[in-house]
This record gives sequence, C-alpha cells and structure tokens, in this order.
Amino acid sequence: MTNSNELSLRFHQIIEQHKGVLFKVAKTYCKNEEDRQDLLQEMMIQVWKSLPKYSNTFAITTWLYRVCLNVAISFYRKSATRQHLNIPLVEELTSIREEESNEKQEQLSLLEKFISELNDLDKALMLLYLEDKSHAEISEIMGLSVSNVGTKLGRIKEKLKKKFSQFNS
Amino acid sequence: MNENELKLLWQSSNEKLERNLQVNKKNTDEITKLKAQNLLASMKPIKIFTLFVGILWVLFGGIIVTKLFVYAYDKVSLFFLYSAAVQLILTAVAIGIYLYQLIMISNVNISDSVISAQKKLSYLKGSTLWSAKISFLQLPFWTTFYLSKEMIVSGNIAYILVNGFFTFIFVYLATWLFFNIKYENQNKKWFQWIFRGKEWQPILESMELLNHIDYYQQLDDDNASH
Repeated sequence: MTNSNELSLRFHQIIEQHKGVLFKVAKTYCKNEEDRQDLLQEMMIQVWKSLPKYSNTFAITTWLYRVCLNVAISFYRKSATRQHLNIPLVEELTSIREEESNEKQEQLSLLEKFISELNDLDKALMLLYLEDKSHAEISEIMGLSVSNVGTKLGRIKEKLKKKFSQFNS
Repeated sequence: MNENELKLLWQSSNEKLERNLQVNKKNTDEITKLKAQNLLASMKPIKIFTLFVGILWVLFGGIIVTKLFVYAYDKVSLFFLYSAAVQLILTAVAIGIYLYQLIMISNVNISDSVISAQKKLSYLKGSTLWSAKISFLQLPFWTTFYLSKEMIVSGNIAYILVNGFFTFIFVYLATWLFFNIKYENQNKKWFQWIFRGKEWQPILESMELLNHIDYYQQLDDDNASH
C-alpha cells in the first residue's frame, strides 16, 4: 500500500465493512450520544493514522478491535483536542429497539447496564465474548494467554449471572 | 435466560443495528485529509500556554542565575543564588518529565494488544504524578531566597527563628509529599484535595487501570505456574 489514494480507498472499505465494530465498541464504552460521536471520530482518526502500519500478521478485525478498544479505554477522548464535526459520523436510521419484544428488550437493557458497570478491561472481554470471538482471537486482541481469557470470562459471566438472578428475584 | 440466549439476543440486536448504520462519507473523507498531527496540535491551548510560560521562566531565570554565578558570585546573596538555582533546576526537571511523557504517550502503538498498549499508556500517564512530586520539592526554597548573611549574623533572632520554623515545616511537608504522593493514597482527603479538578482525573483513572492490568497479568502468571 504505497499510494495515498489506495490507502484512502482501503480506509473507506474498512470503515464501511466493519462500521459495526466501531459502533459496538463506542456503544459499550459511551452511553451519551455526544460522547459516542466524539469517540467514533477518534476511533476513525486512529484507524486512519494506524493504517499505514497495518500488516497481515493479524486479521483486519483483530487489528480493528485492538485500535478501537485502545482508543475507547484510553483517555484520548477526554484529553485530546479534536475538531468537532457537526454531522454525526454514524447514524442509526431506525429505532431497532422498538422491534424487540418487551421481555427481550428488558433483558438486553439489563445486560447493557451490567456491562456498563464492569471495569474497562472486563467490558472489552465481555464485548468480545458476546461477539462470539474465540478464546484464541480474544487472546490476540487483548494480549492475554488463552487460559487467562477463559478464567477471566468465567468470572465475569459468574458475576453477571449473579446480577441477573438478584434482579429477577 | 441463559448465556447463549443472551449472546443471541445481543448479536441479533446488533445485527439489525449494523444493517441500519450509515457512515457519513463526507466525514470519513475529511479524516483521510488529516495530516499527521504534531504533539502541540493535539494539546489543549491552556496546557501549551502553561508549558510555554514554564519553559520561558526556566530559560529567563536560568540565564540570570548563570550570569550571577559567573560574574557576581561574591556580590549577591548566596541564599538567593542557590535557592533560585534549585527552584529553576526542579522546575526544569518537572517540565522535562512532563514533556518526555507527552512524547512517549504520542508514540504508543495504538494497534498493539489492549493490555500491552494500555499498560504503557497508563504507566506513562500515572507517572505524571512525578512532575507534581518534584514541583513540591521547591517549597522550602521559597522560604530561603530572601535571606542574607547579614540577616543571620546581625538580624533579629525572633525573625530568624520564625523563618527557620517555616523552612523546617516546608522541608518536612515537601519531603512528606514526595514520598506520599502515590496511587495507594488516592482515597486520602489530602490527596483528593491536592489532585482535585478535571485535569488530574484521567491520571488517577490511568493508575486504577494499571491496577486492573496487574491483576490480569497476575492471572497469566498463576496459570503459567500451574
């Protein structure tokens, strides 16, 4: 990837194909819509800046999750000066939640609430788990051993299970 | 609802969302036009201003103190000369640490694994406390720079005792702060009073994250040893 047009094209492709990754990470770490737009913008900027250094050693989703999670966890969004854009970077066209049944919607809201109460690293693990990433993939993204991923996930799931049962009882 | 059902619910909800997401092409185009931002451009104006004033202060004071050392050593009060020199050196060290951290933070590879990148970032941000620790070491020298040999020899004994008392208190305070400003004391009232304000919050959060990372890595070590 030498030429800037190719790089720009690649950037647009990555963002278009994997916009869901960016949005899900932003949604997990930012509840506030304005902050989320800021975080999405920062993620895209960091993806763009890091793209020339991308090598095929890792799958593009592994690489993208690393960049997005690092941006979300770190304090770029709090400390750096950004150009504020007036137009939302990513728009939700319809309100999906309305389509879900009340019970499912309630369970999903609870799950999101419980995840939001986790610390930043546990949040990342849980997000990757819910996205059905294998332990090996999670280990590559997080930089932990596969067995550690299993142990930690087991503990987080146990914690969430307790919260759900406390809530339901 | 079991964990598989939750997983399915999460995924189906996000799938629908994903299908309906639209990326604003105009804005992604804008991003591709971004030139590599230098360190200064990414900093808040107030931080640039503070840094600029600090550097000017050190340069200006440094020139004056050096000239006094070289050309007027026997004409000026040594209390003033040495107090000013130590203050300037400590300020220069604090600015140097702060700048070094900023440069290192901007060089962290954001596509590194989460634990590795966050450990570097948190460690660097957390060590900003060193700038504060070193700045506090200046305290006693604010009580000595106006003294002179004549004041000690023929001055008012009560005045010298009071001044000496304050110098002692400030030496004690500066040393105590130097050794006690650390993350473990973050819940103490005095710590929260010194580090209140938005600018310190990310640093304290970084240190908390560093603790979580240590816990994660401890699990890795435990698993490896079994």
